[in-house]
Amino acid sequence: MDSALLRLLMMRLRGGLRMRLMQLKSLRGLLFFLAFGGIVWLLVVANSSALNPEFLNNGALDRQALSPQIRTFMPLAMLGMSLLTVVLTTGPTFHFSPTEINFLFTGPFRRRDLILYKFSAYVAGVTLSSALITPFAQAQTGSALSAFVASLLTLTFVQLNSAVIGMAGQALEGSRFARYRWPAIALLFTAAVATALYAWVTPDRSVFDLLTEFRHSWIGTIILIPYIVFAELFVAPSLFPHLALWACIAVLINAVLLYVAIKLDALTTDRALKENARQSDRWERIKQGGSFWATQRTEVRSIRRAPLLGGLGPIAFRQTLNAARNSFKVIAVFIGMAACLGPLASAFGVPVTDSRALTMIYIFYGFILPRTLVCDFRGDLSRMEIYKTLPIAPWRICAGQLVAQVLLAYVIALTMIASILVFEDGVDTSVALMFAAFALPLTVLIYVVENTIHLLFPTKLVPMGRADFEFLGRSLVEFIAKTIVVLTAAAVSAGVGLATFTMIRTSLVLPGLASWVTLTLIGVLTLVVMQFAFRRFAVAETVD
Amino acid sequence: MITVTNFSKQYKGFTAVKDLSFSVEPGQILGLVGPNGAGKTTTLRALCGIIPPTAGQLLVAGHDIVEEPIEAKQNIGYIPDDPRLFDTMTVWEHLAFTAAAYKLSDFEQTAEALLESFELTHKRDTLVHNLSRGMRQKVAIACAFLHDPKVILFDEPLTGLDPQGIRGIQQAIRERAQAGAAIIISSHLLSLFENLCTHIMVLSLGECRRIGTMSDVVSEVGQTDSSSALEEAYFSLTQQKEKGEA
Repeated sequence: MDSALLRLLMMRLRGGLRMRLMQLKSLRGLLFFLAFGGIVWLLVVANSSALNPEFLNNGALDRQALSPQIRTFMPLAMLGMSLLTVVLTTGPTFHFSPTEINFLFTGPFRRRDLILYKFSAYVAGVTLSSALITPFAQAQTGSALSAFVASLLTLTFVQLNSAVIGMAGQALEGSRFARYRWPAIALLFTAAVATALYAWVTPDRSVFDLLTEFRHSWIGTIILIPYIVFAELFVAPSLFPHLALWACIAVLINAVLLYVAIKLDALTTDRALKENARQSDRWERIKQGGSFWATQRTEVRSIRRAPLLGGLGPIAFRQTLNAARNSFKVIAVFIGMAACLGPLASAFGVPVTDSRALTMIYIFYGFILPRTLVCDFRGDLSRMEIYKTLPIAPWRICAGQLVAQVLLAYVIALTMIASILVFEDGVDTSVALMFAAFALPLTVLIYVVENTIHLLFPTKLVPMGRADFEFLGRSLVEFIAKTIVVLTAAAVSAGVGLATFTMIRTSLVLPGLASWVTLTLIGVLTLVVMQFAFRRFAVAETVD
Repeated sequence: MITVTNFSKQYKGFTAVKDLSFSVEPGQILGLVGPNGAGKTTTLRALCGIIPPTAGQLLVAGHDIVEEPIEAKQNIGYIPDDPRLFDTMTVWEHLAFTAAAYKLSDFEQTAEALLESFELTHKRDTLVHNLSRGMRQKVAIACAFLHDPKVILFDEPLTGLDPQGIRGIQQAIRERAQAGAAIIISSHLLSLFENLCTHIMVLSLGECRRIGTMSDVVSEVGQTDSSSALEEAYFSLTQQKEKGEA
């Protein structure tokens, strides 16, 4: 690599480190960092306790029990990711920012050097990610060193593999091979659907059984050879010779992929530039609160009128359009994931009432979903000025902001409930209806709290780089605060229900209703707090 | 139409605007001029209810912006220096949104006329993030004009506009003033004030250095060979204070 690029890389790394240290200088940055560190430490301690012999009876935590699953399913999952890259075509190749394009593309550097520079920057980032993964993975691999090596090589492979597949797809565009792409995808999709249907109609064989058979068949082994190497890194019984051997093969695979990427890059420079511009535009939109998957169309059919609804209408109108055009694919993916809840729980034999399943559902619904699907104040930080100048009462603006967000999340909740109703034994219609009734005020509560925190302590929605500990710490603290509010509200609601039941003791309908009304009232009360937060929100105070 | 009395704004101990008083009558165009940090944007933002004043009273069409914000805002059209539009909405949908927010039942005809006057008709169904900065500025102005406000506040209205756009906006501002709107423009472009404004207020370090009709302010300083009269007056008024501070 060119020495100037190497120097630039070092300076950028030093700059990143300096920025993190500057974050720590502020009290807020330090507190969030400590919060993040503390929570990670607790998780590590909890994780390492899994190594305690008395826990080894638990099959899910047993290294020996997990190893065959990793050997079987990790290569399949990696193959699935590769196929997804083929379908999406525009996978992450080597993304250069506009600044890098302006400075480096016009500089006296060879294209190969630029790719190496970008790859080195990526490896530096991956090294940090691997260090973060290590404490969690060492319970499986047996030592911190093996966990780090396995994570580092696997993450590097994932990036290189995606880049090569993406570049190969771009290089083949316009050639006679390009026309086989969609028929091949259709063939694979048909095979997947046929497999799922076969598993569905055959009671004694699940999809997992079929996948396991494929993985261990000779044809499966040939197709999955490169991916099997990386799965073996995580299950190697010893550092030497097992891990060392597999690591050498993994390094060789990564080196070959890097070589192929450099060769393919020469064929796809124009396309790469176009992709870089597109990626940069997307990132800019994400920084503004938009979605990576937002529509890239220039023109759409305009909706002629916005509803009034006493001032609530135009705000809800804006956020509905935002959801439809910004997050349509995200919503589709989440609904798909929600629909899979019942079948997955059934396949793994874990009832949804199990504490682990409930925790996963809550993390999905209370953390991942609100962080990914953003159609409320949180995505409009740069447009608060507009809302402040509107002749609409603050509570109406707040309520309007929540309409689209809450309804979409509620649809996802209903999909989960329907999925559980269909696939879970012991869940009947009345229980499902009760879940559906309580899910609405609970969803309102989650998003009111989410928005209130955001209005009181506004911040960016995307981290500044890979190791933004302040951002990570803040996200965890917010999640914990939100969980406390939700649990308190649920406890109060349940308490009122219980008190009503002890007084009446005849049916569960009235206590349930009392409980529901209580939860709804708490939601309304928090909306008042949110309205207060909106009123006191100070739009960036320019003093010009 | 606009009455500001003893308005002050402080940010964490720093005084951005100090004891400012002025009024703008229907048909008048007041130009706010001053160096960076003079308090121009703060004054405009306080007038349209974005930031609360620390002290003083700001009346818009007879309504106090703090006590009766909804009634006051019904009469305001505000165009910020960097219009942040909703990136997933088309040009027309911005007008539809504005119409609903200001409770306008029949807005289509006015909206069509505004699109035509700002040469945006062919961009009606374009998502605004695909527009140039100048085009976005025009969309923001069209939205601000849609409800026919009695008070219009412009913060750097000509940023990013092409010569045709500049001429169009200047014409639109004149027409609005002739129709009876009270207008305040904040800008660093002194030539804009010379072309448009009936009154001038020179702000420096948060204080009003001079307010009056354009001819009054200019006549005080007189014209030199090298620069325009307003430019001379501007430097004279703002540098006096800075020298005094030094």
